Amino acid sequence: MLNYGFMQNAIFVSMFIAILCPCIGIFLVLRRYSMIGDTLSHASLAGITIGLMANQNPILGAFIFTSICGALIEFLRSYFKKYTDLILTIVLSLSVGIAITIISSGKLRANADSFMFGSILTVTRLDVVLVLILSAISVLTLILLYHQMIYIAYDEDAAKVAGVKVGLINYVFFVLVASAISVSIRIVGVLVLSSMIALPVATALQLGKGFKLTLIFSIVFSVIDIMLGLFVSYYLNVAPGGFTALVSVAVLVLVLIAKRLQSSISAARSK
Amino acid sequence: MIKAEKVFFSYTGSPPYVLDGINLKIRTGDYMSVVGENGSGKSTLLRLILRFIKPTSGSILSQAKRVGYVPQKNDFSNANFPITVYEALNSYRKLLKIKNRGVITESLERVGMTNFTGVLMGALSAGQNQRILIARALMGDPDLLILDEPLNGVDTNSQKEIYDFLKKINRENGITIVSVEHNLDAVISNSTLIYHLMGGQGHLCTPRRYADEFLKYRGKDDTHA
Repeated sequence: MLNYGFMQNAIFVSMFIAILCPCIGIFLVLRRYSMIGDTLSHASLAGITIGLMANQNPILGAFIFTSICGALIEFLRSYFKKYTDLILTIVLSLSVGIAITIISSGKLRANADSFMFGSILTVTRLDVVLVLILSAISVLTLILLYHQMIYIAYDEDAAKVAGVKVGLINYVFFVLVASAISVSIRIVGVLVLSSMIALPVATALQLGKGFKLTLIFSIVFSVIDIMLGLFVSYYLNVAPGGFTALVSVAVLVLVLIAKRLQSSISAARSK
Repeated sequence: MIKAEKVFFSYTGSPPYVLDGINLKIRTGDYMSVVGENGSGKSTLLRLILRFIKPTSGSILSQAKRVGYVPQKNDFSNANFPITVYEALNSYRKLLKIKNRGVITESLERVGMTNFTGVLMGALSAGQNQRILIARALMGDPDLLILDEPLNGVDTNSQKEIYDFLKKINRENGITIVSVEHNLDAVISNSTLIYHLMGGQGHLCTPRRYADEFLKYRGKDDTHA
């Protein structure tokens, strides 16, 4: 299996997804923005279809269009302060509307289905290079803005008092979300992409650790989820995206059960 | 240090105003408590001073170079955020661009919390949590400390210790303090000035005068404040 070129590409890209998604996801989850991740995942489909229609790389199309949608969400927040969930409906309507219109027009020069469900067969060398560049820039940006991002998520007012340019960093953050989504589309697929962003973080949060350890455990769970999903889906001959989502849920359930067992044992010992 | 002139503020940008043309002067070294009923605009005034929001009209000028801020506990919805005391203070140190890591231990020593570095913020009691937030606010060596109902939900013993500490840093270190308060005993014994907000208007007075007026008022209507 590992001798196949497409499988090597898939593993390489999967490793970047496994690292990048929880790094971005932890901030989305802790800011209670998980649904923004979901909305932007679906928005990326419009970018893919625009890219395919223009005969350009669909990952690049997804990255640019999802970044624009992320900026739009941040921009609209000031107009819909009391109805922020409406913003997601607006962006979702715009992007899914574009995607469906383009797909149904018959003007696509390729099949968009593989981006919906994820596929390990369609990862090209150019995709690998793009994923590498986007991931490297994203991780570097995250390292540079690490403390600012923690404080914006933890205590935005304190961040403002300390002089953090919250508005600007929010825009940068949405570009990073767009980057993580674009990197993940090929393997995971649009429909279950948000599971890769949120579920490893949700699992790590159950361990009750500090920020750095939660982030490290999120990456560990993410690697387990995506690698198991990739290899097992290969043997089962099913789409890797859907199966990775199932593995993510299974790992979360296992951790929840282990946590419950541990607290039961602790309670029994203390009696 | 802070000068507010004819400040009007409403969240919609039009009347009725939460703050209806207030004028206020806070000098360096003052310990001013802001009091008033719920919805009287106390927290709004703090947010204006902190420049989180802009006045609808009028101006607020501040000469403070370094500001420390302790948020209202009830506003702090991130009680379960996975962050240890050390991480919370270390990241804040980085934001303030303080190179010396020792400042974390120093600020924890000031509030008697040096043994809590590895503890999750969410696992602290209300009193311990507020001490850490005060330690964080003091880390940048501020000349102005702003507190929004800092001791809501904190037990009486901890309240006394923290109020004594605030009074000490105000009197000995000259840190100007502006604090929204509900605890009238603490207001009267700690503050050098009291700013009473009511119906969008502010009334500045000394603690002694406020005590006399408040006690007289309370004699007529026990529901006040």
